[in-house]
Amino acid sequence: MYKLWQKKLKLKFSNNVFDIVQFGSSTLDDSNPSDIDIAVIYQKIPLKTQLNESQLIKKQLKLLTNLDIHIKSYDLYTLLDPSNFAKQGILFNGISLLDKKPLANKFELYPFLYIEYDLSNLLKKDKVRFHYMLKGKGKFKGLLQKNKGELVKPGLIKINPQNKLVFEKSISLFNINFKMKTIFES
Amino acid sequence: MKEEILIKTTKEYYDSGNDEFEKKRYNSSVVLYFKALIAISDYIIYKKTGETPSSHTNRFRTTEKEFPEIYNLIDKDFQFYQDSYSQVMSKELAEVIKQDVQTLAKKTQIKI
Repeated sequence: MYKLWQKKLKLKFSNNVFDIVQFGSSTLDDSNPSDIDIAVIYQKIPLKTQLNESQLIKKQLKLLTNLDIHIKSYDLYTLLDPSNFAKQGILFNGISLLDKKPLANKFELYPFLYIEYDLSNLLKKDKVRFHYMLKGKGKFKGLLQKNKGELVKPGLIKINPQNKLVFEKSISLFNINFKMKTIFES
Repeated sequence: MKEEILIKTTKEYYDSGNDEFEKKRYNSSVVLYFKALIAISDYIIYKKTGETPSSHTNRFRTTEKEFPEIYNLIDKDFQFYQDSYSQVMSKELAEVIKQDVQTLAKKTQIKI
């Protein structure tokens, strides 16, 4: 069990903590993570205090999983600092362990992944199979319904970031060109 | 003999860390301070077990089990050592790790 936000958590932390966020591959459905990335976001307090508190939070989280916990400490300034290469992943994939919602929601932003695909090289029967995969047929639910995704228009679907691998694996089976774009909606 | 080497390397890394700190090369000073921290923890492990860890994995395993206080320090700072290749380290961070070296040195009575 690596989706920590789905657990009942009784974490102890101070008022200096703005949020505790799980991010990285462990937030994705169908992933096989070897560790869990956690970002603890603080109010503006000294780094030493941040690091010490993060160690206490890490200790508590380690009791919930067998996977290694990698914990990073930020305040809102260092989170957004240009040298923080992890910020995009934290903002896009990060899920708050406190709210059980994407971190981006705190900023009234809603992260989605748009997948643009081109079926023009497929045989007609494979195009039909592709559509069944996405939209289902009869009792069989398609990926979109199962994962609360949306067909925006032919050739473009919108999904939750968490479902990236699920769609990527299924679409790849068809040997078609597709590209993904991360979008924040407000 | 091994104890002397570990004390010598601790001092060398710490002094070099200070030199880099003075030059405002904080990535280098973070790496060197962390190495000093590791040299002291190896010294503590050696004094108790007669052996020095062969890898970071080994070191973390031993300290987590036998020396939780040291484990907490090196586990806290290890991420920055790893990140130092690709991220900009701040003066504040270098100071924090420097203080950790001083704390551990004081505990083990190593004069740095």
